[in-house]
Amino acid sequence: MNETTIDFRLNGTPTEVTVPTNRLLADLLREDLRCHGVRSSCERGVCGACTVLVDDLPVASCSTFAFDVDGASVETVEGLAAADGSLSPQQQAFAECGGFQCGFCTSGMLMLTTGLLRQNPCPKRADIRSWISSNTCRCTGYEMILESVERAAELGDGGAR
Amino acid sequence: MTLTQPSTDAGPVLHELPTAPSAHRVVGRDGARADAPLKVTGKAVYTTDVVRPGMLHAKVLRSPHAHARIVSIDAARARTVPGVTAVLTQDDVRHLNPYGTFVKDQPVVAIDHVRYVGDVVAAVAAVDERTALAALDLIEVVYEVLPHVTELDEALDPAGVEIWPEAPVGMVPDYGQGASGELRTQHNVSYTFRYTTGSPDVWDQCDHIFEDTFTFSRMNHMHLEPFVAVAEATDDAIEIWSSTQSPFPLRKELAWTFGLPENRIRVQTMLLGGGFGAKNGLKADPVAVRLSQLSGGRPVRYAMTTEEVFLTVSQHAARLVYRTGVMADGTFVARRARVLLNGGAYTELSPLVCEKAGYRTPGAYRWQHIDSQASVVTTNTVPAGAFRGFGGTQATWASERQLDLIAERLGIDPFDLRMKNLKELGEEFVPGEAPIDSDLREGLRLVADEIGYPDRVQVPGRGMGVCIGIKDGGGVNKPAQARVKVSTKGDVFLSSGLTEMGQGSQSALCQIVAEVLGCAPGRVAFARIDTDNTPFDQGTNASSGIAVMGQAVQQAAEKVRREVLSWAGGQLDLDPGSLALRDWVVVGPDGAEHPLAPLVMGTFGGTGFEFTADGFFKSGNSHLAPLEAPCVFWEIGWAAAEVEVDPETGKVTVLQLVVSGDAGKVINKLGCRGQDEGAAVFGLGQSLFEELRYDGDRPVNAEALDYRVPLAEDLPERFWSLTQEQGHGAGPFGAKGMGEGTMLPVAPVIAQAIADAVGAQLTDLPMSPERVFRALHPRIESS
Repeated sequence: MNETTIDFRLNGTPTEVTVPTNRLLADLLREDLRCHGVRSSCERGVCGACTVLVDDLPVASCSTFAFDVDGASVETVEGLAAADGSLSPQQQAFAECGGFQCGFCTSGMLMLTTGLLRQNPCPKRADIRSWISSNTCRCTGYEMILESVERAAELGDGGAR
Repeated sequence: MTLTQPSTDAGPVLHELPTAPSAHRVVGRDGARADAPLKVTGKAVYTTDVVRPGMLHAKVLRSPHAHARIVSIDAARARTVPGVTAVLTQDDVRHLNPYGTFVKDQPVVAIDHVRYVGDVVAAVAAVDERTALAALDLIEVVYEVLPHVTELDEALDPAGVEIWPEAPVGMVPDYGQGASGELRTQHNVSYTFRYTTGSPDVWDQCDHIFEDTFTFSRMNHMHLEPFVAVAEATDDAIEIWSSTQSPFPLRKELAWTFGLPENRIRVQTMLLGGGFGAKNGLKADPVAVRLSQLSGGRPVRYAMTTEEVFLTVSQHAARLVYRTGVMADGTFVARRARVLLNGGAYTELSPLVCEKAGYRTPGAYRWQHIDSQASVVTTNTVPAGAFRGFGGTQATWASERQLDLIAERLGIDPFDLRMKNLKELGEEFVPGEAPIDSDLREGLRLVADEIGYPDRVQVPGRGMGVCIGIKDGGGVNKPAQARVKVSTKGDVFLSSGLTEMGQGSQSALCQIVAEVLGCAPGRVAFARIDTDNTPFDQGTNASSGIAVMGQAVQQAAEKVRREVLSWAGGQLDLDPGSLALRDWVVVGPDGAEHPLAPLVMGTFGGTGFEFTADGFFKSGNSHLAPLEAPCVFWEIGWAAAEVEVDPETGKVTVLQLVVSGDAGKVINKLGCRGQDEGAAVFGLGQSLFEELRYDGDRPVNAEALDYRVPLAEDLPERFWSLTQEQGHGAGPFGAKGMGEGTMLPVAPVIAQAIADAVGAQLTDLPMSPERVFRALHPRIESS
């Protein structure tokens, strides 16, 4: 099996790993780097539960090869809260507005929100709706997620790094 | 047909219902859910996250044929693959009992026959999934393909193939007044439920009798966390971590299947990444258990892919024929329902779904006579099981749709026809059944007013509708038990078998305890579920969490409170009846505060003590109740919608959709709202596009890419919910259950709005542009 060594930043921490060339980013994060907050569901890049940020852009980690993030900055839900454990505005907003139920889509929705707010700190509802339509939530009916994203923008630091 | 008015001598039976004071707010009502911190930080642990030392991974081989005889299986090459620890085929399971809630017909892996595309034929445990998959490729199965049936009519044809020639091994639940059930009533029918009440003579009094046929589509649950189990099993004992809604029924089924006493089986349940009914009964479990047994007891993880989830269980497609007799003024008199559910290849939970699809025939309305019969038809398709709404969605589609057809035929506004026939608050649903515990008209007016139905102005291509759905809630004959413990410093444990799959009930039950013990909800922790220690429970289903389990929880908390105050009264030489408990401080009649922690340590020493009490609740049995016990509460969903229909394409755009449920009393506002809106969007998907489709013998969209579920972009421009607190619930503080009600009226309300907009009356789901177009242009279809 071919292997390759990659260097990237994971939630701000320089990380070097040697991975098989067919290793998926989701598996690397979940199994080797203990980022269990990255959820695997459809494994086809459809549902978005595994969404992480790669250089500020949301990607489906189930459909991204690990070698692809060589040199990149990768962010997962584990990197959102401050070092002292205090929640980021996005996290606070989802908790406060009930933007989650079973929680399985939540990590992905939070990373999607973070990516959106970095591009557009004051998104309109239509922007939010279209942006989060890349991900599936089977529980909430989305309205409370839309409100959570609006609230995150309001609390906001523009999804600061 | 005579013109005599139906006799109203007897009149409806009305019961007085208590009303909870509206000013009372349960502690934590407006706060966040207790599971928020874990879920927004990614720290929540699901069964998919369970890793055991030396854990192996399972993959299964599935049937490519809808119906075939297994001529031979050659797994020799698979067994030699390095890293493979066990290969499981029919010869490894012949001594095990098939499983199923009412009818025991599903083997751990197929024995001699496969019965649908996706049936499990063999399984492999290996060091990793890749090795397991590679080994599966080496298994050679020779099939003799048999004729198959996938549709209702072909399955019922006595000249056609019989999927189960053997006599069924199963049971029929006890029924009371007017109801009965029977296994295998005819060729390929696994179960038939019948219910009748009132005299059929009233048919003669009806001015009009209408018969209409409705079809209902089949959806997949599409919970984001797949079916997953990690098992450590020997021939003597099983330990399993399972993503199940029902840990104790799972234990019972495993005991039956593997021939072990229940006290040799331990089920542990973490948070669930969604359930929606699917995670009742055995799913990934038996394969994981058997492979672990064959791998020397090493832990085996079987996590299905989403594609496999689609091939494991679905909702019931249905055809419902409703015959309804009415008076000229629109008064409902009699209804006859004949319902056929497509149950798929194994019986699963079909008998119970069938019972409910039949029992819920009356809908929210008053009748003099009901004659209902529902049957489950076995077909060579994916087994159907529990699905949010549970037969009620099917019944509501037919019932509400036919009401609109009748309204049109009689020239009565559908809203007025509903208001005329709705049951009263306190009126029995059917004789011997619990009284309706919501003011149905109040809710209907509420949603109608919200979208502006009363003052609507006709705009071409636009229309509105208002509908209601109702289901008996809380499960049938369901007991609930819970334990509350408080340690020395006032840290509270709540132990109950209620699983958390997103509905927020664990958090809400902690609030109920906090309310009773006079502490902050944050002081109450929900103990992890483990069948060795958690009090018995029949499963998290039927919206029973608050109204049924909540009563056991409330009772346990009240008992602990009494125990603590009685003990403290003795210590302080005060009358326990004069004491109050607040933040783990006993407050005396003079207002003096006595902190409990030092008092406890003064008596029991520094190691402290734990106050413990158990609570129990069950609705009383009664032969007068058709289902042997009156239901605990009625789950009602009201909806109003406005749509725009493009007559050239048949495309329906929902402009506004409002839904409402009656929580009785809100325990947690975000929780109630989330359940109502989530259920409504299930209904929205089913209304417009979501469907597991078969082409011949195989599903054509059984994977995430092709199976479209609602996304944020599919929401109506205006979509909102209103949680009512009418206060008449039997649960804690007047609460009722939530979670399914608002799914029921959504498809019918959109259908009614389409009819209002363009005059097309749809009777099939989903209401795709093609169907709407055909309904608008019938001549094009026939030409």
